[in-house]
Amino acid sequence: MPGLIGPDQVRAVAGAALSLPGPDGVEVLFLHEWGGLTRFADSAIHQSTWREDTGLRVRVVSEGRVGVAGSNDFSPRGAERAARSALEMARVAAPDPLFPGLAPKADVPEFDRFDQATADTSPGQRAESVAALIGRLGDEFHAAGALDTTAGEVALLNTEGQFCYAPTTQASVAAVVSGGKGGAGTAEETGSRLGDVEPERVGTRAFEKARDSQEPHDLEPGPFDVELEPLAVSTLVGFLAYIGFGGRAIAEGRSPLSGKDGQKVADQSISIFDDALSPITIGLPFDFEGTPKRRVDLIRQGVFLGGVHDRRSAKMAGAEPTGHGLPPPNPEGPFPLNLFLDTGDATLDDMIGSTERGLLVTRFHYSNVVNPMDTTITGMTRDGTWLIEGGRVKHPVKNLRFTQSILEALSKVEMVGRDSQIAGEFFFAASRVPALKVRGFNFSGKSDH
Amino acid sequence: MLELAQQAVEAATKAGASYADARFVTEESESLSVKNQETEGIDRSLSQGVGIRVLVDGYWGFAGTARATEEDVDRTAKLAVEIAGAASRLPREPVRLAEIEPVTAEWSTAYREDPFAVPLDEKVALLVEASRRMQGVKGLAFAEASLDFFRRRSFFASSEGAAIEQTILNSGGGIEATAIADGEMQRRSFPNSFRGDLRAAGYEHIRSIRLTEDAERIATEAVELLSAKECPSEMTTLVLDSSQVVLQVHESVGHPIELDRVLGMEEAYAGTSFLRPEDRGKLRYGSDRVTITADATLPGGLGSFGYDDEGVPAQRVAVVQAGLFQNFISSRETAPVIGDRSSTGAMRADGWQNLPLIRMTNISLEPGEGTLAEIIGDTDNGIFMTTNQSWSIDDKRVNFQFGCEIAWRIKDGRLTEMYRNPNYTGITTEFWGSCDAVGGPQDWHVWGTPNCGKGQPGQIARVGHGTPPARFRNVRVGVR
Repeated sequence: MPGLIGPDQVRAVAGAALSLPGPDGVEVLFLHEWGGLTRFADSAIHQSTWREDTGLRVRVVSEGRVGVAGSNDFSPRGAERAARSALEMARVAAPDPLFPGLAPKADVPEFDRFDQATADTSPGQRAESVAALIGRLGDEFHAAGALDTTAGEVALLNTEGQFCYAPTTQASVAAVVSGGKGGAGTAEETGSRLGDVEPERVGTRAFEKARDSQEPHDLEPGPFDVELEPLAVSTLVGFLAYIGFGGRAIAEGRSPLSGKDGQKVADQSISIFDDALSPITIGLPFDFEGTPKRRVDLIRQGVFLGGVHDRRSAKMAGAEPTGHGLPPPNPEGPFPLNLFLDTGDATLDDMIGSTERGLLVTRFHYSNVVNPMDTTITGMTRDGTWLIEGGRVKHPVKNLRFTQSILEALSKVEMVGRDSQIAGEFFFAASRVPALKVRGFNFSGKSDH
Repeated sequence: MLELAQQAVEAATKAGASYADARFVTEESESLSVKNQETEGIDRSLSQGVGIRVLVDGYWGFAGTARATEEDVDRTAKLAVEIAGAASRLPREPVRLAEIEPVTAEWSTAYREDPFAVPLDEKVALLVEASRRMQGVKGLAFAEASLDFFRRRSFFASSEGAAIEQTILNSGGGIEATAIADGEMQRRSFPNSFRGDLRAAGYEHIRSIRLTEDAERIATEAVELLSAKECPSEMTTLVLDSSQVVLQVHESVGHPIELDRVLGMEEAYAGTSFLRPEDRGKLRYGSDRVTITADATLPGGLGSFGYDDEGVPAQRVAVVQAGLFQNFISSRETAPVIGDRSSTGAMRADGWQNLPLIRMTNISLEPGEGTLAEIIGDTDNGIFMTTNQSWSIDDKRVNFQFGCEIAWRIKDGRLTEMYRNPNYTGITTEFWGSCDAVGGPQDWHVWGTPNCGKGQPGQIARVGHGTPPARFRNVRVGVR
């Protein structure tokens, strides 16, 4: 297994780019990642992979002009070539009047999210974990999914003297169980360490959902009160962040939240914030420009407070950068990678018990934006949807299509779950959200399974 | 570099692999983005490494590394064998590969002008000029223009003796105009959305697309959309231009015919398919106007190559013939599972660091008769939509909902009122069954889809679609 390259060697290699003669400023973003992903289908391992890659992204500033070049040649020669290529690009660029300069030297919060055991996970250990997940399914049901253990290190260096470095690990396991007379269930877990996730628990949870969703009934679409489990809620929160919370989109009028600072945009029970420093999420202590991360409250008790910023959007908005810059070049602007929807005090049973007629939704599938300015998205239910009548789960239903404004749904929240989970994750990013009970969620179509 | 791939294969077989292949891949890209005449994204990337795939006792293992020294290649080959050994922890039917004749070959995309050799300032000047012309339209908020170039050089070797060197070159460009007012945002793109018109070609392709000539028209439409009516909700006749037929083909034909999805191998992530192996030759996919092919030999297609990433030669496959479903796209592993002797040659990997998966090649709706103007002229009442804006489809590829940038009412064979935020929904086989007109070769165009996602870890493929305009009856539009 490879190990951490470490800050000293990163400095030595990046120095070849930082010392390039000619430009006014140089920034080097270093990424090193390795790990294995064991994928299974029909209760057997069918694709098991491992990869290791390094990356250098060099941003060069020359007379207010910016160029970027990337390479996975992690050597002084590779770094210097990338810097020269970036300088060549910068020389043909137009000066950017909003370029805020490279990040100044600043202290970065320290926390340890690197777990050696996760980094060293062997193919045999991953296979044993998958076997534990599948172990109790029986002959009628089968599982598909993936178990991923990834380790990495990220560093940001620039000619302003900023240097930040963080090693990190991540483990995730997800499964879909299906079979019997038709029906499926899913579950997933993500954490910084392999020890944070329990494959057997994921398999059991997915199995129970598959067992309980057999022979789903046809149901005509329309408005329904819904109990959205955390995976489904993560779709709403993730898409709201995508179209709404970026400081650049807000400043340019492209966000549905542009000009709505201080206005009520959701129910009072809704508070959304981004906090990479929280111990119950995954992520890095600095952004991809070298700005230290900090907690940003986006919506508090239903009131929109403002978006997140990278250095450029902060300059546009006359605000301070919040540590949400993405790797350059990034014309779309900043993005919150560690979202939280604040928990409430309801259990899922409380939500179901208080519903006269509604739907329990496990998750959504292949959602997409219909109209960004009114936050309308569409998508399908998947892996377990049930009709609720008289405060009880009545029977499973076939998958439905929803077409719904996110902010409208968040304005019709009746209950917020007391437990949260990380969902909809990708490396360096996570949404930690609870279940929600929402009135009058709009289902616009149906499928045949 | 072929020697390095051969060394990897040798190390893997020495470590116990019954079959091994290796790809040494170098990928270069250049991406230029201009917004309101400012160069916002100007970026070059280089990535290279080796990916080694092995079979041990019928179980797959794969490992990839950017460290391409002899020592690292040997270590990575042994790791791939260890991974395959671990996979046997859960018993399954051992993988049996369809036979092929291993070849020694070289192949490259045909092109006239190397886009990486065109001076940067010339490329930037083109984008700035397109942006300037869009900005000349009053009321426009953002005028964006982009160019993208990719070159992939690969060296493939297998334990069966294949030795293949390929160079694939893609070039593309597009413009996008955004208008914003009173809480409404409207966007128009040309020649297509999501980075424009991409082809397997050189810079000559960029010179052939009218990025500057159509800039003002596109910007004007974006501004006009702000005051247009919402697309009405109704059941009606729908005419799609060829750029939107691309998305329709991609999502509701291209993905469901992937045999790995049909066999459940993608179930947990992207989903499966409504198609079953026994549907070949029996299932009515669409009307008799609908003939669809998977053709990796199509000139200009982003899914064109000489050999796939298993060394299988590029092929043209009948997918739907006059409405009747004919065949899947497959791999050497999946083809024998449904009783086929050979793969259709559709295995491709994103870079060196990923396992090849079944990916669309160029999935095309074959041309019928007539022009777009003639199809519209032949329509009494309906809606015409163009340029994809959003897409969503269920996990078996049955229920879909797609949005476009702009639409017009068709009344008595003429385009009349403009509509904003148009979308439509349907059920895959019902929708294709309602197709009663497919445009001819005059309006048939080879488009590129550069962002097709699949697999875990996630992989992005560049795939192609040749499509004409088409007409569909009794479609639900204006979904709310």
